[in-house]
Formats: sequence, structure tokens, C-alpha cells
Amino acid sequence: MKFKIKTNLWSGIVMGVFSVAMLVAMPGQVRLPMFDSGAPSPRIIPGICLAGMLVCSAALIIQSLVFGKEKELEFDWKKEKPCILLILLLCAYVALIIWTGFIPATVIVFPVLLYYCGERKPAIYLFTVAAGIGIFFLFKYVFHVSLPGIPGLGG
Amino acid sequence: MGDLQMILAAVVQVFTPLNLLIIFGGLILGMIVGCIPGLSVTLGIILLLPLTYSFSSPDTAIISLLAVYVGGMYGGSISAITLNTPGTNSAIATTFDGYPLAKQGKVKKALDTSLFASVFGGLFSAVLLLLCASFITRLVSRFASVEYFSMAILGISLIAGVSGDSLPKGIISGLLGILMAAIGADAVTGVMRFTFGIDSLRYGIDMLPAMIALIALTQVVQKLRDFVLAEGRLDDVTKIDRQGLTGKEMKSILPACLRSSAIASVLGAMPGVGGGVAQFMCYNECRRASTRPQDFGKGSLEGIAAAESSNNAVVGSAMIPLLTLGIPGDGVTALLLGAFILHGIQPGPTMFSKQGVIAYSIILGCLIANIFLYPIGMFMTRAVAKIVQVRYTYLAPVIIIFCFAGAFAATGNVKELIITAAVLVFSYFLTLLDISSTPLMLGMILADIMEMNFVTSMMSYDRDYLIFFKRPISCVILILTVVLVISMIRINKKVEALNQAQLEEMRKQEKEE
Repeated sequence: MKFKIKTNLWSGIVMGVFSVAMLVAMPGQVRLPMFDSGAPSPRIIPGICLAGMLVCSAALIIQSLVFGKEKELEFDWKKEKPCILLILLLCAYVALIIWTGFIPATVIVFPVLLYYCGERKPAIYLFTVAAGIGIFFLFKYVFHVSLPGIPGLGG
Repeated sequence: MGDLQMILAAVVQVFTPLNLLIIFGGLILGMIVGCIPGLSVTLGIILLLPLTYSFSSPDTAIISLLAVYVGGMYGGSISAITLNTPGTNSAIATTFDGYPLAKQGKVKKALDTSLFASVFGGLFSAVLLLLCASFITRLVSRFASVEYFSMAILGISLIAGVSGDSLPKGIISGLLGILMAAIGADAVTGVMRFTFGIDSLRYGIDMLPAMIALIALTQVVQKLRDFVLAEGRLDDVTKIDRQGLTGKEMKSILPACLRSSAIASVLGAMPGVGGGVAQFMCYNECRRASTRPQDFGKGSLEGIAAAESSNNAVVGSAMIPLLTLGIPGDGVTALLLGAFILHGIQPGPTMFSKQGVIAYSIILGCLIANIFLYPIGMFMTRAVAKIVQVRYTYLAPVIIIFCFAGAFAATGNVKELIITAAVLVFSYFLTLLDISSTPLMLGMILADIMEMNFVTSMMSYDRDYLIFFKRPISCVILILTVVLVISMIRINKKVEALNQAQLEEMRKQEKEE
């Protein structure tokens, strides 16, 4: 599956819709303080940012549709699939760290990642798992940061 | 305390065995990440950043990151010469002459030239930094919150202006960064902003996990994708011979080094110009001034020297606006600014009066890192070049594990991991839309400084929104912002055209051969 993304047009549409949605949501999401401390409204900086984004989005759409200035990127599923799968795998890694702890998540996810990358050398699998465990203890005993341990068993 | 006394105190503080060891380690880490195509100096800095939390002194932390920066700038030339693939963006011009010389079997000569020029450029700008920094801060010592706010606007605008080929996209990215930094409790009023009832967002998006996701993890995922698509095949590395640079050749490249270092130091000190822009300008200027311009692009030592001294000269000079004005010159210095803030150092006009010893320690650290680079480069380049051949499947998992552990270390809360994953997904969408994440990162870093000074200005001047134009220095900075953005866009277009012409010329030559 291949298709071309008109990046100026789509950036304009996506960011334009995003900034309008956020501007609409702002009164509910950024409440005004109950008393006046003399400070400017907490909505002012986000408001300026969203307005600026809206203007730039409009500029991008005009650039694309009126002036024909466009930068096209080809989305090739074959090329993008590894990227998407790897990102999903890393999201799963985060979920597993939270549910099972840092070491079990590392032991589960990275062999899968290596297998997907076409790696078949056992030494690399062992090295990765050992490195994961090593990093866990490096953070725990050298940097005094306890990474999530196995729930119920501690780290 | 006078400048000289602060320098002496800084000397005592910097010359400790631990600091020297850290500089040594930082340089090697920088050379490694710099020489692996697809990885970058920013990745090296991000990997090291969580570890610097364990350093007792903030200047040691910054010095270690600077050593990575210095080492990485040289490291980029190793793969540029041996693989014809620049390890960093700043080493693109090095491929023009480095690889042709390597093809002639003179790899060591090319690497030695690169090392000599890198050290020359780095030292030149570090000395310039030492001489100028305090003087500039005295000039800008009258800055108040109004001017600081304008400076933050200048910093963001310039990066937005030079990132990528679309100004609106750069601005959108920068504004997105400021918006992301605004999430969570407002520091002044305590009002929640854009949390959407999600607990993980109540305390905002921490800078470190966001930087890890935007820069490091994005790079590693892209490199792993390339690895999968190439089915694990590696590029052929040119073998390193033993014939190094002679004294006569060293003398012959000195004018190119000097010219290039001087130009790059001026360019690097301008916020918004990084090594990427400086290298092409210096390369072309040295070719124009050379007695043998016809050799450029065919393995000219002057060509390598011009490219390499320029990108290392940018390291020191980019620190000038960072230390004196608190505005970063490029993506790497933006990251360093983040590191400064994380370590409680406030760069800017008051730095030399309030944290003068730390400021001079950082400058001296930069100087020492450049001095150390020469012997380390001479002895370690061969070993570091071999890392290019290490299977990426060894490196990538370790980098990823380190990234997540580092993100968690930011606050010790699992919400950082969730934010890291979310920002990684978001970063991928930005890639699809061809929106650079550098302005976003800078927006996030500068947002706090900007908002804090904005709020202070508004409270001091009774919410007079025109105060930024009424105070002369602030008004000049804002006008300068517009002028510099326009000129930077023009320079960028010029450099792109020069680069294109250079590439076409090289292709033409290859066809003729």
C-alpha cells in the first residue's frame, strides 16, 4: 500500500482542527482563578499558542491550495510497517513495565523485538537480557533510582 | 568576585580527577554516538542526562554533556570518511572530500586532518567563549523580565525559522512545545490546564521524558526500521591505513582551519545557526580562497579541514548566546539549556554575577574537552570506527532500555513512562506530517522561562501588553527577531542551493570517472 501525503495541506488541516478543538475546550480545561492576583490570565499563553497555530495552519492550507506549494511524502506501508510495529512494541513495553515490572518486561519484549528485526544469534538475546538486568541494578545501586519492580515482590 | 578570581576558582573546581575522567568518558561516548549514522550528539546527551543526576556538582554534569557534544562533532566525521555517510548533520560537508580521499587509500590522513581541524576549531571558539562571555553579559546586565521574555521569543522564532524548509511548520512545532509545557498546574495561579481529567497530566509533561521520546527513541526506532528493511546488512567500511598527516600538510591546512574557525565562530554565536549551516558556508569560503580550488570535492585536505574546523568551532561559539543570553543556538544547545535548568543553573545575563564560578567551570571544561580530543582521537579513532561495524541489534535494545530507565528517573513515577510512549507516538505523527520536532523541544524548554517572565512583566507593568514594544531594548530584540528570521530563511535557502550544486557537481564528477 502506497500513497502520497501532501504534508503542507494535511499539516494545516490536522493542526487547524486541533487548535480549534483546543480553543473550544479551553474554557472548560483552563478555568479562571477565583480571585485576581494581578497575574495575567492562565489562558493567555495557551491562547496565543493556539491562535498562532491556527494562523500557521491557515497559511499552510493557503500555500498548498492557492499557491500550489507542497511537499509530498510517500507513505509506503512496507517501509513504515516496521516503524509502526516497533513503536507499538515499545508501548507494550511500557504497559508491561507497569504491570509486571522492569525486568520481566525487558525479558519479554526485547527478545520479541530482536526476533522481529531478524536477529537469530542467541548471544545477542543473552546480551540484551543481561544488559536490561544490569541497567536495573545500575540505576538501583549507583543512581539510587528504583525502577519498577515485580508487583508483590519488590524491586 | 572579579573575573580572574572566578576563573582561578573554576580552575580548581574543574581540574579534579573525577572531572577529567568524566570528560574522557564523555568524549568517547560522543565519538561513538557521533560516528554511528542515524544516531546523533543529541542522543548521546540525552543518554547521559539522567546519569548526571547522580553528580554532586552541576558544573560536572554540564561539562560531561559538553564533552559528548565536542566528541560527537568529531565522531560524525569518522563515518563521513569511512562510510561516505555523515554521522551527524554537521559532517555532511566532510563527505565531499573525506570519502574521496579515503577511496584513494588515505583514510588515516583524512581522519587525522579531520581530528586536527576539529581540535583547532574547537579550541578557537572555546578561547573566544572565554574572552567574550563575561563582556557580553556586562552589556546585557540591564535586562529585566520584559527583555528576558523578548529574548525567549527570539530564541524560539529563530529555531522555528531555520528548522526544515517550512516556516509555518516550524512555528507550529515551537508553539506545540509551549502548549505541551503549559499542561498541568499553572505555576502562578495553580489552575489546571488541559489535563482532561487524566491523572498523569496533573503534574505536567516533564522535559526529560519528552526529550527522550522526541529525539532518542525516535532516532533509534528509525534506525531499527532501516536495519529491518536492509535485512541486517551493514555498509562496507573502508579499512584504516597507517599513513597519517605530515607536519607539512598540517601547516598547509592551517589557513583553512583559521578562516573556517573564524567564520563558524561568528555564525555559531548567532542564535539559530548550527554546525549544519556553518559547514557549507565555511567550505565554500575556503574553496573560494584556496590556491587549489580545483582539488575541492576530490579529496582536498583543505576541504576536510574547512568542514571539520567549522562544525567544532560552532560548539564553543554556540555556547556564547546560551551562557550570556540564555537562548540556544541550535537543537543541541537547546538540549543543553534543558540540562542547565534541570541542574538548577540559570543561564543568561546574571549567570556570570550569580553563578560565575560555574559559568567559568563550564567554559574551562569545554576548553579541556577540546584539548583532550586530540590525544583521545589519535589513539581511539581506530577502535571507535570499528563500532560502526557492531550489529545495531546489540546497541538498539540497550539504548532503548536506557532511555526508558532515564525517563523514569526524571521523577521516579511510572507516569513518565506513559508520557514517553505517548510522545513517541505523537513524534511519529509529526514525522508523517514533515514537522520537525526540534522547535517543539525548544518550545518546551523555553516555555517556562517565557511564561515566568511574561507573568512578572505583566504584574510589574499593570498588564500593559505593549510594554514589550515600549521598552527600547525589548523592542530592539523583537525587531531583531523579525530581521534575523528573515535573513536566516534566506541563508538557509542559499545553503540549500549551494549544497544542491555541490551534490550535482559530485554526481557529475562520478559519472565522468
